Amino acid sequence: MSYYKLPSGVRDVLPDECEKLDAAEEILRGKFKGAGFRFVRSAGLEYYDTYACIKSTVAQTKMFKLTDKDGNLIVLRPDMTLACARIAATKLHEERAKLCYFTQVYDLSAGGNSDREVAQAGVEVFGERGARADAEIIAFAVDCLKAVGLKKFIVDIGHVGFYKGLLEESGLREEDAEEIRAYINAKDQVNTELALKKLGAGKKAQAAILALPSLFGGAEVLSEAEKLTDNALARESLAHLQEVYAYLKKARVDEYVSFDLGTVKSLSYYSGMVFTGLAEGVGASVLSGGRYDGLCAQFGKDLPAVGFAVGMMRVLRALQNKEGGIC
Amino acid sequence: MLNVALAKGRLAESCADIFIKCGIRAEVLKEETRKLVLETPDGAFKFFFVKPADVPTYVEYGIADIGVVGKDTLLEADADLYEMLDLGFEKCRLSLAGFPDAKEKLHGSHLRVATKYVNLAKKLFLTRGEDVEIIKLNGSIELAPLTGLADVIFDIVQSGGTLRANGLVVLEDVFDISARLIANKVSLKTKAAEILPLLSEMKKYIGQA
Repeated sequence: MSYYKLPSGVRDVLPDECEKLDAAEEILRGKFKGAGFRFVRSAGLEYYDTYACIKSTVAQTKMFKLTDKDGNLIVLRPDMTLACARIAATKLHEERAKLCYFTQVYDLSAGGNSDREVAQAGVEVFGERGARADAEIIAFAVDCLKAVGLKKFIVDIGHVGFYKGLLEESGLREEDAEEIRAYINAKDQVNTELALKKLGAGKKAQAAILALPSLFGGAEVLSEAEKLTDNALARESLAHLQEVYAYLKKARVDEYVSFDLGTVKSLSYYSGMVFTGLAEGVGASVLSGGRYDGLCAQFGKDLPAVGFAVGMMRVLRALQNKEGGIC
Repeated sequence: MLNVALAKGRLAESCADIFIKCGIRAEVLKEETRKLVLETPDGAFKFFFVKPADVPTYVEYGIADIGVVGKDTLLEADADLYEMLDLGFEKCRLSLAGFPDAKEKLHGSHLRVATKYVNLAKKLFLTRGEDVEIIKLNGSIELAPLTGLADVIFDIVQSGGTLRANGLVVLEDVFDISARLIANKVSLKTKAAEILPLLSEMKKYIGQA
């Protein structure tokens, strides 16, 4: 092995590209500050137990691990939202906070179209609940993507409560639900159907879960989804998204949003509305975020929270792509 | 324009038939050519010819918006993409096979398994909690038990002809395989107006190929 080479999934950013990256960061810095966010830098090294012992744990396989001098297991910052939640809950002593950051996060298991070192620019709002706060953060995400120069993009909105509600109704066990979640996330209707039949979920719940992979598109999917279930949590989630959409219409960003109720991210800290920024020509999301009430409580202080992070290198790729950007 | 990744060979021909039925001017796919990129005359579709195992890669990276590939390749690649349709052709099974007496060894202490599907085989035996040695081969997998390289093989079985000719039998069918239409996670949303009508059109012809 040559000593001057880099391990897989990481890269150097040379001056030409660095200038573009800095320019994009400068724009976002202005946006973040203008919206009242304050910058934080979190420690790059943290205890493994911080992330392994909370309920919304980061998968062991995703963390870069080292051993500290005293034998404790240390990880390279795996996730900035978790770090911000830890900071807001344990160090800020306030009921409200608006934090933002430019940072690197590390994912040991990434491969394919994902890097192992990811440059992120993100914002986290602590202490605000409700559809209005959710709509505001989505509108801000649209505003940020526009500001960095993306033209053809959409923000795709989902809600973890809808899927949770359907599962509740189906009476499936958690491990079985996890298997089905993976199929739904891949929009794999064939295996979803097979698994549901095998596990013997109720007829109505089965039909609703089976429809999940195709429940995406404009706001009309929300009313379509309403017909599928009587579950209280699922219907509440849909009503919430309707309300969010109404705010987005008022803010005139509805042309940039779409809905996908089949986005069922792996069991993580998200508790409500979730969203993903998709730009033409990149093939993977350029932005990802959502509501995570309940996470701060695990660090000792119950604060509602919502936020998003922009993947900076993917944004640059979108900008270089003739179809997606201006360059 | 929609970019489509296809595996050259029989799969591409079956795809051409179904695409033509859907009103796509995919006659270009039927021509004898060594070109790797073909475009329909109306410029609505661009086809890339790649190795089967590379179809999920082109789609995951979004270079191709959609692609057609066998479920075996998808399972092995484990790429982050949407699996939209079971096209129902190129049906076969992924099975464990070997000499008839290897059946007892299947749950033994240390099984040697020869396969092209290394990732999938690892996952399969991991979920079963069995300790196996996976031996990666690139072709003529059936030779492994004959020569003593492995106890069993994990491979696709279509007619079973090659197995029979070599005195081997299917010990266990593990997965049902057929061709699948896959889509890039971003393209499905950003090019929904092109992809969704195509999908519903294709659904009509599944099972007739």
